[in-house]
Amino acid sequence: MKHIALLLPMLLLLLLPARTFAAIGCTLSNPAQDLKYLYPEMTTYKEELRQLDQMKNGADLFKKLRARLGSDLDPVYESYETPYTVYSIFKGSDLIGIVHGVNVPGKGGVIQVFISAEPGSGEIKSFFFQRIESPAAKALKKKDFREQFNGLTLADFYKHDYFAVAEPTSDKDKVGRIAAPDVGEAGKQDYQASLRGLRKNLVLLDMFVFGLKYEAYYQRSQESLAKSKAK
Amino acid sequence: MKQDVEPTFFGNLLGEGFAFRKEIMSLISRSSDAASLGAAADGLYSRQSVGFEILKKFSTKTATVAAFDLQMRFVRRDNFHEVLNDVEGANRSGWFLEYHNFYLDFYNVFNPLLGDKARSSNVGRFNLRVGRFYLPFGLNLQTDTHGPVLQLSNERNFGFERDWYAGFWGSINPHLNYDMYYLLGSGYNAAFNGQSGLLGTRVSLSNKYLNEYGLEGGLAFMTGQRLSQHALERSPSVMMAAAGGEVINTMRYGADMRWRHLVPTGSITLTAELSAGRDESDKVITQLYQADYLTVNRKFGASVQYRQFNQGIQGTPAPMSRMDWNGGRTDASIIGELSWYFRNDLGNSNLHWIKLNVERKTEAIQGRQDTILTLQYYHYW
Repeated sequence: MKHIALLLPMLLLLLLPARTFAAIGCTLSNPAQDLKYLYPEMTTYKEELRQLDQMKNGADLFKKLRARLGSDLDPVYESYETPYTVYSIFKGSDLIGIVHGVNVPGKGGVIQVFISAEPGSGEIKSFFFQRIESPAAKALKKKDFREQFNGLTLADFYKHDYFAVAEPTSDKDKVGRIAAPDVGEAGKQDYQASLRGLRKNLVLLDMFVFGLKYEAYYQRSQESLAKSKAK
Repeated sequence: MKQDVEPTFFGNLLGEGFAFRKEIMSLISRSSDAASLGAAADGLYSRQSVGFEILKKFSTKTATVAAFDLQMRFVRRDNFHEVLNDVEGANRSGWFLEYHNFYLDFYNVFNPLLGDKARSSNVGRFNLRVGRFYLPFGLNLQTDTHGPVLQLSNERNFGFERDWYAGFWGSINPHLNYDMYYLLGSGYNAAFNGQSGLLGTRVSLSNKYLNEYGLEGGLAFMTGQRLSQHALERSPSVMMAAAGGEVINTMRYGADMRWRHLVPTGSITLTAELSAGRDESDKVITQLYQADYLTVNRKFGASVQYRQFNQGIQGTPAPMSRMDWNGGRTDASIIGELSWYFRNDLGNSNLHWIKLNVERKTEAIQGRQDTILTLQYYHYW
């Protein structure tokens, strides 16, 4: 009888909804060390879990994520319940940086794309891979390739949607001017997946941290693109 | 953009940084030795359980300061025989409520005493852990062995893979991490039965090597006194040295390594754990070698492991420094395992699999050679 009394609550626990880690999240494997490398002057950091299904208008945001990526979401790595961890980095009481990572499926396995961003502007301070299972890993991890993204914002990616179609040679297309590394034929898919991961990371940060401040750029870009196509 | 979290006590407790995960495990196993000895149900062992894990992180406005982890299982065992992932079950016939992880981590514990400059130079260096968790020896601290059938060597080496302890962990520099704890040395139960406990330290490669090269590794040292019924039973000299008690003078040195390498159809992981030392005056050497293959879609896996535990069992106690070596007695197994994953998430956040495991005990200090066939269903979500 005593055992039944113990078993029942355990079985009832199975009926409770799982929280946060119900799908794949992307966390730094050693946050203190990694964040210290990115921000040598930091004194503390704070981890905050974000999950679309627990946010106001989460379903709407999830739809927006798909639209802003322009491709279907992966059911394993990009589900509605996927948790994300936002790292806020402080020097004393001053917020000096935001770090965030996402998983994207690559050809050879998962690719974990992290960015550190300026807390006010959302500009990329640095972009790096925590884990990349790819024949193109070496080329993609090269500093001179990754550094080309420093200073870009989500607005530049949204503008690129327009420029790539309407003005492919425009100097204003910062993303279009990025020189792709030599990844060979075998690495092209992972190169594209990495760019997609970077864009996804920025879109999610815009939702989690920046209150959709870049949404206007997306709208404007889509409108310009529509006009351009109509001509 | 704010989340829907009520600013109440329970809202805060169960909201930000709270994780609740559930677990079902069903395992049946057949031992040829038990069957030949006429065990009930033809040597068929049944182990069924439901469990959960709670993880909570605590943060201030500018820092994540602590984390709590609790894992529990309610287990039903019938016709027990020893299976790799259930050595502790020997004395738990029928229903048993088990705890596994039960610990608190406090991050950067000296921050309240430090100025900003010192905080900055010591980020991630001094974290305090109190509670029950994996031994700081071998790869166990960086391997989740909660679900799998295939295990590492600590359970066999020390008599337990988790212990109650308190101590520090963190990064030494960008290349190395450390763990240093005082352990009770009592295994499952937090108990003092005259043992002084163990001092355990491990220095390991930082995660940078895992991410850059797929490499993990470390050196470990453990010394002091522990309680282990298994260690007493297998050696007359250890039994006599314990003089009717259960306290065993223990010393171990260990080295471990794991390397993950991509191949065109998936990944191969090679693992090795080696240790040497002594229980009382008996010299002890442990070896474990493992190779794993996982398909690129993470749906199918195959593993093979060889493990050997060799003890220079002596008839009578000798000074602990005496290292007479008579070739010793050996426990050795070769194990093969096939895995079919329905979910196999990175970070082990959602696991769902069926595993078929075959262990052939090629040498045995106690008992006889044996073949153990185990089928496991596991779901953690």
